Amino acid sequence: MIEIHLYGKLRRFTDSLDPRRESTLLVPVDEGDTIRDIIERIGMPMDEVGTNIFLNGKYSLLDRVVNEGGRLGVFPDDMNLLYKWHFTKE
Amino acid sequence: MEKLTAKVENLPEKYKNRGGRWLTDSYVCDEVDPNCHPLGPNNKVVFAPGIVTGTNAPSSGRVSVGGKSPLTGGIKEANAGTPFSQKIARLGYKAIVVEGLPKEKKFWLLKIDKDGAEFLPADEWAGKGLHEVFPLLFKKFGKNVGISAIGVAGERLMSSAGICFNDIDNRPSRYAGRGGLGAVLGSKGLKFIVADDKGAKGVKIADKDTFKKGTKKLTEALETHDITKPGGSLNTYGTAVLVNIMNEAGGYPTRNFREGRFEGAAATSGEAIHDICKERGGVGKTGHSCHPGCIIQCSNVYPRPDGTEHVSCIEYESDWAFGANCGIDDLDAIADLIWLSNDYGIDTIEAGGTIAVAMEAKLAEFGDGPKAIELMKEIGEGTPLGHVLGSGAATTGKVFGVLRVPGVKGQNMPAYEPRAVKGIGMVYATSTMGADHTAGYTIAPEILGVGGEADPLDADKAALARGLQEATAFIDSTGYCLFIAFAVLDIPEGLEGTVESCNGVLGTDWTTDDIARIGREVLDKELEFNRAAGFTKAHDRLPEFMKYEKLPPHNTVFDVPDEELDKVHGG
Repeated sequence: MIEIHLYGKLRRFTDSLDPRRESTLLVPVDEGDTIRDIIERIGMPMDEVGTNIFLNGKYSLLDRVVNEGGRLGVFPDDMNLLYKWHFTKE
Repeated sequence: MEKLTAKVENLPEKYKNRGGRWLTDSYVCDEVDPNCHPLGPNNKVVFAPGIVTGTNAPSSGRVSVGGKSPLTGGIKEANAGTPFSQKIARLGYKAIVVEGLPKEKKFWLLKIDKDGAEFLPADEWAGKGLHEVFPLLFKKFGKNVGISAIGVAGERLMSSAGICFNDIDNRPSRYAGRGGLGAVLGSKGLKFIVADDKGAKGVKIADKDTFKKGTKKLTEALETHDITKPGGSLNTYGTAVLVNIMNEAGGYPTRNFREGRFEGAAATSGEAIHDICKERGGVGKTGHSCHPGCIIQCSNVYPRPDGTEHVSCIEYESDWAFGANCGIDDLDAIADLIWLSNDYGIDTIEAGGTIAVAMEAKLAEFGDGPKAIELMKEIGEGTPLGHVLGSGAATTGKVFGVLRVPGVKGQNMPAYEPRAVKGIGMVYATSTMGADHTAGYTIAPEILGVGGEADPLDADKAALARGLQEATAFIDSTGYCLFIAFAVLDIPEGLEGTVESCNGVLGTDWTTDDIARIGREVLDKELEFNRAAGFTKAHDRLPEFMKYEKLPPHNTVFDVPDEELDKVHGG
């Protein structure tokens, strides 16, 4: 399983919509799954997913392979703030 | 201030195309002895609007303030967005230079209007909170003036005192906060500057077509970019949109830089502020602006449970300084602490950092909001403990024997953990200002020619940190808000528009290639001042604990080699 933390309008894919708390869900992971696979499995429309995506705290592109027991944070397209000059994107 | 005289002079020819940070630096570097006592007769405080400030260029109402810092002992430039700056510019003043010390300990107000400038006694407003005083001043001088002020922290010469300016609704809430320039004004007895631009001629524009073309391009860039557009990230959630993002990145400094994630992040996030503003209603709002003519509008007015005003504004750094950094997860307590900072005239970043260091020293427990408020009130009351706290985190750490003091050159770090975000760590280490996030906040490396055609992040890290600082120094000179960087770095026409709007005002023919040149000139002046003030490479270092204490969740230390840091300005 991977623990997903969702923010903004993407919180609707979890049971908690309250922005004052964490909105999380657990998703099963298959060998070789990428972040894109996980997002599609949850059913989040790609056009609502922003560029601020973090796998285990690392700024990540969609094709990065996820890991069992990891943490994935996904921000929507209207919450982008960090940019390439802050972090190396892996 | 010695003879209480105000003299109007022509701008020296060599300064003619300068504005903002470029101009305040020029005066400080040319006229202030780097070895002077910051609170003595030979320091000066210089105010300057930016090159395009006072025109209808979007998001351009910044004022730069410069002087020698009592906090760092080096040069200081701090800036703020405020109608005050626009009014000074429209009155035709490129800069205000405050010099000398008054013969007796009294406070004064400098009134500036189209007919000149005069000093008025200001003792009746001294010793009071700025929330009480601002409405009295606007009643006396009219609601359309702009005001610069120091609070009790500046009056008492505390080295974390900032300089306060009115916002768009005339609150005392916009700060050139960092580095203690409020104390320098306090030493000079200059409590307020009131600028009345009634009947002013406005800013002279040398080439109206170029100016119009430039501002149109910039406006379009700001209105289309996801971060800066109306309804975009900053407009909707404010700068505190970054709380959850930095927390997710594991780089959100928590409990005095002990950890990189805060369990109370969501409760104190930009999303939570946005939600509370809607839920409590009343005057609460996001999308508030600091000065007229801003497109981004990233400020907010935070309401009490009954919908009345609590404070403006809870922005990212202040939210973090009193929130995660003190382990406090209660936005209402954070709002109280920001309100007190604005009332006393103190920098929220330094004040929050100081309380966190005081918590490290067991003066309060991490997470104890009411006790943090009590400590802040010591500053407001001017008790001996309040004087220690008002002198900043480094002094407080020294007084109480704290090892974990997260500052550089005596200035406490803002809300990005250098062990998780190493590029920011390099900027903190090598900035002329002490640990400062705005020194090299954002800029596309491509523009500066440091990245070439390769991925910018493959570029030499030192060159990137240098490029970031140069571009920032340029933007700080234009009068534009640094946040235009988000848009103009992604949209080339926006960057061209930025330069063209400056050309329009000045009649120059700069291109985007001049950005790094001008930025370099500004930084070189600052470095020269600091060297003469006694700074060496040994000062361009992060605090030692960051080299051996691993920061969770990444469990990394700051491992950028010293030689790499020295390359940033050393070439």
